[in-house]
Amino acid sequence: MSFLVLDSLKKSFGQTQVVKDFNMSIEKGEFISFLGPSGCGKTTILRMIAGFETPSDGTITINGRNQSGLKTSQRNIGMVFQAYALFPNMNVFDNVAFGLKVAGMPKAEIETRVKEMLKLIHLEHLADRYPYQMSGGQQQRVALARALAPKPQVLLLDEPLSALDAKIRVSLREEIRQIQRQLGITTVFVTHDQEEALSISDRIVVMNAGRADQIGTPSDIYNRPATRFVASFVGTLNIIDALVADPAANTISIGDNVIPLREPIGALKAGDKVSIALRPEAGSLSESAKGDTALTGTVVSSHFLGSVVRTKFEVGGNQISFDMFNAPDKVLPQPGETVTLRFAASDLLLIRD
Amino acid sequence: MKMTKFFAWLAIAIGVIYFFVPLLGTFEFSLRMRRGEYSFDAYGSVFSDIQFQQTFGFSMLMALFTIIFGMLLVVPTAYWVRLRLPQMRPVVEFVTLMPLVIPAIVIVFGYLRLYNSSSYIPFTGSTFGTNVLLVMSYITLSLPYMYRSVDTAMRTIDVRTLTEAAEILGAKWPTILFRCIFPNVMSGVLSGAFITFAIVMGEFTMAALLNRPAFGPYLQLVGANKAYEPSALAVIAFAMTWLSMGLIQLVSRLSKMAPARRA
Repeated sequence: MSFLVLDSLKKSFGQTQVVKDFNMSIEKGEFISFLGPSGCGKTTILRMIAGFETPSDGTITINGRNQSGLKTSQRNIGMVFQAYALFPNMNVFDNVAFGLKVAGMPKAEIETRVKEMLKLIHLEHLADRYPYQMSGGQQQRVALARALAPKPQVLLLDEPLSALDAKIRVSLREEIRQIQRQLGITTVFVTHDQEEALSISDRIVVMNAGRADQIGTPSDIYNRPATRFVASFVGTLNIIDALVADPAANTISIGDNVIPLREPIGALKAGDKVSIALRPEAGSLSESAKGDTALTGTVVSSHFLGSVVRTKFEVGGNQISFDMFNAPDKVLPQPGETVTLRFAASDLLLIRD
Repeated sequence: MKMTKFFAWLAIAIGVIYFFVPLLGTFEFSLRMRRGEYSFDAYGSVFSDIQFQQTFGFSMLMALFTIIFGMLLVVPTAYWVRLRLPQMRPVVEFVTLMPLVIPAIVIVFGYLRLYNSSSYIPFTGSTFGTNVLLVMSYITLSLPYMYRSVDTAMRTIDVRTLTEAAEILGAKWPTILFRCIFPNVMSGVLSGAFITFAIVMGEFTMAALLNRPAFGPYLQLVGANKAYEPSALAVIAFAMTWLSMGLIQLVSRLSKMAPARRA
């Protein structure tokens, strides 16, 4: 049986149902990210696991034990908050020791455990500092140590990197992942940042309007989005309106271009509208590029973005973006120029709404 | 521009004269007890008066109990309203403002009708009971100031997240309140405490009508029967109030510079 099971979880606030029949099983030691826009219900699920919110229906089971009726303080869960939530009146040592003191651990053991935790986050030298004397990144590392000190069975991370600057976010997320692997602790991470979720998760749950649109590995979520929402939310994606050209040959038409599709079109007839998706990085203008499919159109704009150049071209009323790696001698496609984008037919995804 | 500055200074000067001239006059008069020269005889007379010591001590004790029990009522209330019942905030604010609207004499007459020696809860039937009633009436009087100072201090910390952080680490309500919240609103608690102290030390109506030997009725008694001592007492009372206000300023300034530190 899975370690953390969310079974038919529902939550309503008044008339508004924010979590709709959510099911998920999480294995021990897994790192799961809940990804979605604001108001999609991801934080509500996290808060239900923590015991801050009571589910309207459904059950939460951790290590075979139903958590219904257990107070937050009885669940043995660690949590890191977006706003750090360190106790301002306590120094780093006392903050990390708080959960251990509450649990009634002997003083000597508390000291050993706190030192161990501070070593884990590389902040042994700041044990006497108060939260106001530390940077945001340091405070969040202390918050992580505080959450881990009582050896919780599950670690919840509620957008812990949102309040930090870009560089610290990257280094801290790697540190969090490394510590999670080292301790083997089952972790649920809530974020609205797709890059964060893609980079550190074993599996990602893409939430939309209270439901899980897709649950899968980062690679699955990015390369094989199950719905239009997942496709548009994760990464940059071209959603192209096309018409079924020949159902028997499994081809579609975009403007004057007729191209094959790997995925079966199904019961659609010729002339029916379909939506297909194409990642900007999937194609290339080079004639030697690998790819059995091509789209020809007129360049609308080219933008230099540093490491890549993003070009938009128009085909059959669709504006399609594609990225090329930057090089000093690169000549940017000019507006009005006709270009042919080559890509593999397998890069085209049929979007089901 | 210059004219505006002139009028600003003029307004300040008028204000200063209005407030300080009577005070200076009182102080100057309090020094005239010895004929033909200035002395602190009036102050000596006041401090050596056994009644002064007794009433001052009694009011100090009452102030202490008012602060302790008032804070035990106000801090959890403000915390609970902020955390769980934000919709009740207007109601609680209204209730805490009532003592400013209802005169003290009306409140004390209400108490006397409800808690007299022949009522179901005869607080005034014993000295101890009357003292308890006096403390409760002082808590009522200082409620607007105590509640506001504590509530303002709570606004500066994220009460909800700190509570949740403590809760998930296994803490129960008393631990959360006294170890995580209380120390972080100490500046508000102290501000409320000092203002309560100043109110209790000068309060007359409640103590007089409940017939308790407090400092307020003593001030009135001395004022009615002596010449120089009332002025000395007025200066002492002002000094106490200013000291309390100074301490409020000091506490709020220190709390701005650094959060509470563990000893």
